[in-house]
Amino acid sequence: MTHTTDFVIETHALTKSFGNVHALRNVDLHVPQHSIFGFLGPNGAGKTTLMKTLLGLSRPTSGSGTIFSHDIVRESVAIRERIGYLPQQPRFIEYMTARENLLFAAKFFFNGPQANIRERCDEMLELVGLSEKADRPIKGFSGGEEQRLGIALAQVNYPDLLILDEPASALDPLGRQSVLEIMERLRKHTTIFYSTHILDDVQRVSDTVAILNRGQVVASGPIESILNGKDGVVYSVSLKGAPGGLGERLGTLPWVTHTSVSQNNGASIWQVSVSDEAAAETDLLRQVLADPATIVTEFSRKKYELEEVFMEIVKGDGNGR
Amino acid sequence: MAANIEFHRSKELSWLRGFANLLRKENRSWWSTRRWWINALLWPGMLGGLVGLMIFVVPTIAAQTGDPAVDAAGGLLPFALQLGRMAFFEMGTMVLAIGVVVLCQDLIIEEKQSGVVEWLLTKPVARRSYVLAKLAASAGTVLVLLISLPALVTYLMLSIRLRAPFPPLPFLGGVGILSAHTLFYLTLTLMLGTLYTSRAPILGFALGLLLSGNFLSGLLKPLVFVTPWMLAKVASLVVDAQPVPASLLWSPLTASLLWSAVFIFMALAKFENTEF
Repeated sequence: MTHTTDFVIETHALTKSFGNVHALRNVDLHVPQHSIFGFLGPNGAGKTTLMKTLLGLSRPTSGSGTIFSHDIVRESVAIRERIGYLPQQPRFIEYMTARENLLFAAKFFFNGPQANIRERCDEMLELVGLSEKADRPIKGFSGGEEQRLGIALAQVNYPDLLILDEPASALDPLGRQSVLEIMERLRKHTTIFYSTHILDDVQRVSDTVAILNRGQVVASGPIESILNGKDGVVYSVSLKGAPGGLGERLGTLPWVTHTSVSQNNGASIWQVSVSDEAAAETDLLRQVLADPATIVTEFSRKKYELEEVFMEIVKGDGNGR
Repeated sequence: MAANIEFHRSKELSWLRGFANLLRKENRSWWSTRRWWINALLWPGMLGGLVGLMIFVVPTIAAQTGDPAVDAAGGLLPFALQLGRMAFFEMGTMVLAIGVVVLCQDLIIEEKQSGVVEWLLTKPVARRSYVLAKLAASAGTVLVLLISLPALVTYLMLSIRLRAPFPPLPFLGGVGILSAHTLFYLTLTLMLGTLYTSRAPILGFALGLLLSGNFLSGLLKPLVFVTPWMLAKVASLVVDAQPVPASLLWSPLTASLLWSAVFIFMALAKFENTEF
């Protein structure tokens, strides 16, 4: 092992241009070990370009990147030794069966013992539920079966990092479910870096997320912090009437970063962004209730859905141009 | 997961990483599919049939019709052998070159279009291994199915017509020249496969070069010394044990082999820098 950091993938100002088209712009990325790292972005955001650049299929225009501390341009073969990759549309050698494709892929990594290589291939077929179809021609496989075989092929060499490009996007709900379950089963063995635009999947299996838009990383971090939204932790307080002086009172608190108020059917709804969650938990409600005339009808921490955050970030990024 | 399974990690040379596995795959694509027996029947059948027609049927007809070419050749047997040699080493050389271009036109572009190349290059594979495995497997297959088998059939028919073993050394010399000519078009096609992503420019350029050879060398004589266009005629003369000027034998032969080396180098350089 040549790890010198806790990050499996690190990129610094990675840029890729095709003529005047900037597919990636100054991408800084840090993928922690043993994470399931969801790489989100609308179509055309640059997700596949980034993956291809990491895999050595494409060269960066500027910037740098490392995987397992190996340079992605100069040491690509050493990197690929420890990687499994599932392309957006898995490809196979058409005249081989599923088992033969697995044996072929395995032999790029291992040259023996043959019995052990075969055992590993059987194990992979079992993992993805294709044991019964192992010796059938691939031409008859459904989209879901092809995707599962693609995952088996990507995993056959015990990779330390799995790179999956839109692993579930072309699948029906059952196929998606199956792929996500396989990813969850693999998480204890490997780091998974995958791209998608299906936000439900990310919220379900990822622990770390980056959002790419127009070639730039516009948000990145643990999913909890992303779900907190760009305003950090936000509390929502519904009050009867419009109590005077609450805004000024909240404004004096050092951990309140922003307040906004809206009216709804005679009630005022306050959104209070805070920088210190613990302080807010113990003091915020007390501060609101400091005025005895105030009637609180609802007090809760605002929960964001990833879709909400994603739309906000991507639209905000677009508007800013 | 049986993570305790023990494996011998592949220890191939890093500059040729993945070559052995890719070569197995390429050989399999020729020899474990119907391609091998189709080609094993097609080429000996087609070229053997042509040669057979020329040494057993055409001379008889020519003799019956009093064709002066029979007497000019020195009799019926020399005339038959001359026709047989020309059929295989002059017409056959052209036919084989066309066959190689057609058979190998999509060796690389098909996998480029389907995304298989991209998938293979995400494995620990040196890019040059991919090109060299394609070259080695197709050269080996062409040598066996397209050259050796038809040559063997031709040799047997010539020997049967001669009622004695045909002189083997001149014949082998001719087969060697024919092989160099075929290698030129094989490497050219392979290189074009790294440059283009569709069949049309590959077929157009390779077949255009082959078929325009006579015309272009007629326009500019020195071209025969730096191209393979004269090799078919030279091969026929060598098999006939006729004296061939050294410059007419070695210049085009050396040039063809050098061109083949240049095409391989260019294919490797282009593929090394291709982005997927």
